[in-house]
Amino acid sequence: MSTTTQDPQGGPQKPLPWHWAAVAWLEQRINLTEIFSILTSFGIVYTPVDTRRPLREAMAEIGATPLVSYARWPQVLGLLTALLFALEAVTGVLLAFYYHPTGEGAYASTEGIVRDIPLGWFIHQMHDWGAYLLIAVVVLRVVRMFWHRLYLAPREVLWVSAVMLMWVVLQLDFTGRLLPYDVTSYWSAMRGLEIVCSQPVVGPFISFVLGGHVITENVLLRSYVLHVVVLPLLYLIGIYVTFGTMRRIGLSVPAEGGDPANATTWRKHTLDFVIFQLLLFAGLVTLATLLPFRFHGPADPYSTPPGTHPAWYLLSAYTIVQYLPGPGWIAGLLLLLAGLSVPIVPLWSARNPQRLSDTRLRQGAIALFAVWCVLTLVGAFVVRK
Amino acid sequence: MSARAGFARMLALAAALALSAEAARAAATAPVPITGSRVGRIVTPTAGRCGVCHPTERVALESSPHAREDVRCTSCHGGDDTTTDEKRAHGGDFTGKVDRGTVPRMCARCHADEKRMRPYDLPVDQYALYQQSRHGQLLAKGDRQVAVCSDCHGAHDILAVADPASRVYPTNIPRTCGRCHGDTTLVRQRHIKNAYADYLTSVHAHQLFDLGNMRAPTCVSCHGVHGATPPDVADITKVCGRCHTTERRYFIAGPHAAKMAENNVPACIACHGNHAVEASVVTRLASNCEKCHEKGDPQVALGARMLDEYKTAQTEIDKAEKLIAEADAVPMQTEDYHARVEEARTYLREAMTAAHTVQPEVVASFTLRARSVGEEIQDELTHKFANARMSKLGLVVFWFYVLVTLGILRRYRNRRPRA
Amino acid sequence: MADLAAGPGPGPGAGSPATRRQFLTWLSRAFLGLWAVGGAGVVAAYMGAPDKNEGGGRQVRIGRLDDLRIGEARLVRHGVTPFFVIRTNETSVVALSAVCTHVRCILNYDRERRVITCPCHEGRFDLNGTVLSGPPPRQLPSYEVSMRAGEVFVRV
Repeated sequence: MSTTTQDPQGGPQKPLPWHWAAVAWLEQRINLTEIFSILTSFGIVYTPVDTRRPLREAMAEIGATPLVSYARWPQVLGLLTALLFALEAVTGVLLAFYYHPTGEGAYASTEGIVRDIPLGWFIHQMHDWGAYLLIAVVVLRVVRMFWHRLYLAPREVLWVSAVMLMWVVLQLDFTGRLLPYDVTSYWSAMRGLEIVCSQPVVGPFISFVLGGHVITENVLLRSYVLHVVVLPLLYLIGIYVTFGTMRRIGLSVPAEGGDPANATTWRKHTLDFVIFQLLLFAGLVTLATLLPFRFHGPADPYSTPPGTHPAWYLLSAYTIVQYLPGPGWIAGLLLLLAGLSVPIVPLWSARNPQRLSDTRLRQGAIALFAVWCVLTLVGAFVVRK
Repeated sequence: MSARAGFARMLALAAALALSAEAARAAATAPVPITGSRVGRIVTPTAGRCGVCHPTERVALESSPHAREDVRCTSCHGGDDTTTDEKRAHGGDFTGKVDRGTVPRMCARCHADEKRMRPYDLPVDQYALYQQSRHGQLLAKGDRQVAVCSDCHGAHDILAVADPASRVYPTNIPRTCGRCHGDTTLVRQRHIKNAYADYLTSVHAHQLFDLGNMRAPTCVSCHGVHGATPPDVADITKVCGRCHTTERRYFIAGPHAAKMAENNVPACIACHGNHAVEASVVTRLASNCEKCHEKGDPQVALGARMLDEYKTAQTEIDKAEKLIAEADAVPMQTEDYHARVEEARTYLREAMTAAHTVQPEVVASFTLRARSVGEEIQDELTHKFANARMSKLGLVVFWFYVLVTLGILRRYRNRRPRA
Repeated sequence: MADLAAGPGPGPGAGSPATRRQFLTWLSRAFLGLWAVGGAGVVAAYMGAPDKNEGGGRQVRIGRLDDLRIGEARLVRHGVTPFFVIRTNETSVVALSAVCTHVRCILNYDRERRVITCPCHEGRFDLNGTVLSGPPPRQLPSYEVSMRAGEVFVRV
């Protein structure tokens, strides 16, 4: 790609290398730069692309534009949301080739993928571990954006899209967890649905979308459709918004990192990106091989194994629903308000600093986080027993 | 609805009632042909006109297949059923209530007649069998308390054996016998066993009543039906062996059979009980011996040895199953192992049967096979697990590859673009 | 990635001192290219699987028809329920479950009498799976047998 950076008076008489010749042939028939500019919406390039120029020239321009060497590690979370999603998409499509979203077929086909299909275990475990990492990434990203106050103008949209990405990933996890339809997934989805259904307005809506208050074959099928079509589309929109805001307002540059003299190039940046991707992939392969997830037999709606509990991120909510006295909808309302306050309260405090100061907001957030941790621990050690 | 319309309806109803009453009267006065054509006899009520004064009996009789086959009141009780005049009806060969002592003979008039029973494919040996039975023998001696046909089959409402409402339907037989052989004055007066209560606690009753296993034995399976007699001590293995064939075979092969017969010990019953048969329990292999043998006898040790053999094999199989469950969680291909565990369990079950020889060597021939299958599975699975761990060494190769790639990428990254 | 590797390779004008360098470049390109080959291999291995079990029930290969003697049974340990494959005559082969319908004992084949017997409670089945005697409540399930090119397959 970086060949375009040097082309010292080669002149028209010199024949192009074959791949650029192919590009030139195509370019006469379709606007490749336009297609490339769509791709850049998903985190490959942050600078605007001139779609009127041929691809070779456009890329030469991108390559020639010096990039500000920014602080890498915090921003890497944003990149990871796109990278891990790509991994999940590829492995997910491969899994869908063999998966049957039916009551009898779900477990049998998952087991078949992992056991009988060559390298099926690998695809499956990569998908699982990628999902775990993705949750961690989107949650950490929201935390870091909050900490670095990236909800302030002009990044409100970025903030809302980050929270939305987190929400979509949790939904993806919730629906995806059910798909193997084994004992643990069935009952943890059942408990999760209990929590969701306890919430006013949202609960009935979600159970309407899923098609029931209890897990049935119908819910399984809808979970599947949500998991493979609807939610990934929402996620793509979220990523598009994320990188769209970046092209408009630039990367967030912490005060000490923005030294314009410390410039890098797109080529270097892309290679860094590839190196990072490789390390991530290697790490995931290691996890998937050494710590594979286990199966616990097909789901049996007629016998509840002891100690069933929802997914870990719902444990705190589960504790509240289990232990809060009074009617169930109070706990639900509490959860709903807590959930809604995550995207809204920071934005509100940015507008009304005199009503809710920044330090207060942070203290509140820390307190809320502590409560969440405690409730999760309580859920892990008490409710599960 | 107006009042007038209501009145008109009532009138119509009254007229209809009057008409139907007339029709009924006409039917009652019409002559009932008893000796007429066969067609005429089928349509007339079997109870004839007896039912006018004996409605309960009539209803009971008409619920029975006897009624359809033209067994009439007069067939058993005599008299004349064409009239309601008591003198004429209860005249002639009228017997009144049939005497208990004559019931079997009376039923036999038809039921021992091969020509009559042939069309129904019914046996005709009941009477002969009954005379051989304890009931029949006592009746012949003038004991009027013993069971006659009507005690089990009912007097008027006799139903077919296949009818679930029948007193002699398999699931109803224990209760029917229990009417006398249960907790009754009869049983207490005569000092006979309360077999019904015992039977209800047995594994046979559990199979029959709780699991609906219609093949489970009831009273008649061992004692006979019409020829009901307690089996002789010498015949007990034969009776039990009708279903428990393999057990009997092993039992006869062992030393118990001859010795028990010599000493007149009731073979199967000595360990298992008669009416209150328990489900098979492994630990009884050891605990049963002391019922007859002194504690510390070498024979008691044999039982302990058999139990030992059994338990060792069982632990091996359990361990194998645990490993299979682990492999299933991976999941690995374990279907073959499931089949082999099933095979081992079959050996174990056979070992229980073989224990009837009371020879530990015979039991061991099965438990050893069960054990070896269990151990084989364990070996193979442990091997497979080890292999799976070894294949993780592939990670090393993978990381080597990753590191080399990293090196190349770094080289590209740090190379200055040529001017 | 391979594309990326192609980027900084020797330009059209790099002919000068560096055959060694050129060799190294080609080597590293080939090395990076292996990633693509490996990825394609993983996907191909994964997606090539359905050929092996032709959908809808698994076909188990029993062996050559000639290897089965007439009147002889072979116990095939496959799946949770092992089964007998019995050659009844010149041309026909039957496959019957070898698990008793009574209490799941593994059955034996009695060659003399051509019946399947249960070692536990002496249940007997004929070669159609019908109960001949004893406690089994149901007949033995049978499996579909097919023959291709002299080989016997059973669909389970």
